[in-house]
Amino acid sequence: MKKVIRTDDIKTYIKSIGNADIIVGIPSYNNASTIGHVVRAVQAGFAKYFPGKKAVLVNSDGGSTDGTMDIVQNAAIDNMQSILLPHKVNPFIKIATPYHGIPGKGSAFRRIFEIADSLCVKACAVVDSDLRSITPEWIELLIKPVMEGEFDYVAPLYQRHKYDGTITNSIVYPLTRALYGKRVRQPIGGDFGFSGRLAKFYLSEDVWETDVARYGIDIWMTTTAIANDFKVCQAYLGAKIHDPKDPGADLSAMLYQVAGSTFDLMDTYSNVWRGINDSQPVPTFGFRYDVGLEPVAVNLERMIDRFYLGVQELGFIWKEILPGSLFDFFRDLTNVSQQDFAIPDTAWVDTIYSFALATHKKTLNREHLLRSLTPLYIGRVASFVMETRDSSALEVEQKIEALCKAFENKKKALLSDWD
Amino acid sequence: MNIIERIMVEPFEKFYEKLLVFLPNLITSFILLILGILLGIFVKWACNRIFRAMNLDGLSIKLGMSDALSRSGIKDPLSVIVSRVLKWLTIVTFIIVAMQNLSIPTVEHLIDRMFLYLPNIFFAGLILILGYILSNFFGRATLIASVNAGMSSAGLIGKAVRFTVFILACTMALEQLGIGKDTIVIAFAIIFGGVVFAFSLAFGLGAKDIAGDFLRKKMKEPKIKDDDIDYL
Repeated sequence: MKKVIRTDDIKTYIKSIGNADIIVGIPSYNNASTIGHVVRAVQAGFAKYFPGKKAVLVNSDGGSTDGTMDIVQNAAIDNMQSILLPHKVNPFIKIATPYHGIPGKGSAFRRIFEIADSLCVKACAVVDSDLRSITPEWIELLIKPVMEGEFDYVAPLYQRHKYDGTITNSIVYPLTRALYGKRVRQPIGGDFGFSGRLAKFYLSEDVWETDVARYGIDIWMTTTAIANDFKVCQAYLGAKIHDPKDPGADLSAMLYQVAGSTFDLMDTYSNVWRGINDSQPVPTFGFRYDVGLEPVAVNLERMIDRFYLGVQELGFIWKEILPGSLFDFFRDLTNVSQQDFAIPDTAWVDTIYSFALATHKKTLNREHLLRSLTPLYIGRVASFVMETRDSSALEVEQKIEALCKAFENKKKALLSDWD
Repeated sequence: MNIIERIMVEPFEKFYEKLLVFLPNLITSFILLILGILLGIFVKWACNRIFRAMNLDGLSIKLGMSDALSRSGIKDPLSVIVSRVLKWLTIVTFIIVAMQNLSIPTVEHLIDRMFLYLPNIFFAGLILILGYILSNFFGRATLIASVNAGMSSAGLIGKAVRFTVFILACTMALEQLGIGKDTIVIAFAIIFGGVVFAFSLAFGLGAKDIAGDFLRKKMKEPKIKDDDIDYL
């Protein structure tokens, strides 16, 4: 195993490596407590599923102060025999390097793409640094479809708690599916596999000074792959368990960047999604199994209060974005009791399409417009939680399927208002 | 006869002579005025077309200016407003030239002073317009941020920010006009400092029990449980 490189002369070091077969990138920022496990899982994945391949692990760090890069440097499986009976030493190279540019996951990925391009790799994968549930099999599932199956992009498929991934379930998945016609269930999952060819394509795009450099990177990667006709599949990875969320993480900022990137991509690829009328499933790999998931605490009363506050204070903004009848519906919702609080699928689809149209037509300042969506989104999440309180995972999936259908059915109306 | 001539005829002759000198100037001034009005109408028409070709209205929507204007009751697009301003600038310029052409010393002196003061009015107006747009922008940004943070007094906070930014702009505009230069700045500082001081006093003395209770509660009570939802 070679030494970690963390100096500025990264280019010289990469030149000394020459070419490689596989690269796995880990973006990080103060993840010292979890990144060691991720590095070891990747190392075991290389050893178990890609023996003989020249594999590189890249940690692209955003200036951690908790010794994340030192952990990457020191993390290794000392006794490979404890994992694999017949084992051989693989050429496993680690690169820990700080990235430059706008602080965010997208900028970290850009550095990984650059290294992948320099090493002329065939397959790449990126995995989050705060994962606790990653296993060596994730590396196989994300890399093998590219190495052997001629796919260009592997999206993850997780088993998640019914209340988790609400931006995915209520906005990104249904909208992406309705627009581009591919049923990629976790378009912003965070852990992806992709070909060297696609990494090169990503690098050539001029997006690195936009929200793509932040939270927008995931939806941008998925949409870019689908819209540019790269071969897409998904791999079942099991449960996604990661560090408890950062209490400082701002929902409004997350929503702004993810929804903003999704809406911007609608502008970029309007010629692509115009001609698509329905959706198709994508090939799915991996053995599906059920996992026990930790319960998720939800403060419903607070969520509904946030929605009420939004109606009261931001109504004058929504009036300019939403159809009159829809705004009246939201206003009337403040008069119903908590038990009767519900935002149905059709109202939610109209809301998202109205915000997408307002972003496209620049009705308001972009940031104000997108950030004003937060109370409506919280209201929708509250409604979803109440609706699915007693539902099983399968029933919840059926409800999400119904929402997707509503998005697909109303797409024609969106299209007629778009021009 | 001599007396009658001096009292009656001479003044009339002098008036006639002056009228002979003044009348051509008056006619020229009148022509200049008509020309100014016609040119102003042309400038408005031409600028309107140019601004539309440049998509000035699209830019104003993008920058949030249209929104600020519509909230202040101005429904016309920016291209129309700017064209109208340029039309009136042209007309006013011609009115001033026409008045100067009359060669009346008092009017000339007044115009000179007005010309010297004009840049101040222009910049003060600009400061006010910018201040208004910025106050709306920051007020709305603060309102949205406060609502998203779940603050029940979000509306009040948004209005306070909007008001403060606009008052600051007004102070700067008045300073630019030279109206009570130091007085305005001092008054602003006194009012702003006074508000802060009043709040401090109210919190520290008037509401010391409430403040104490509030802090005790905050320190003792467990924090309201956040949602565990992983949104992404």
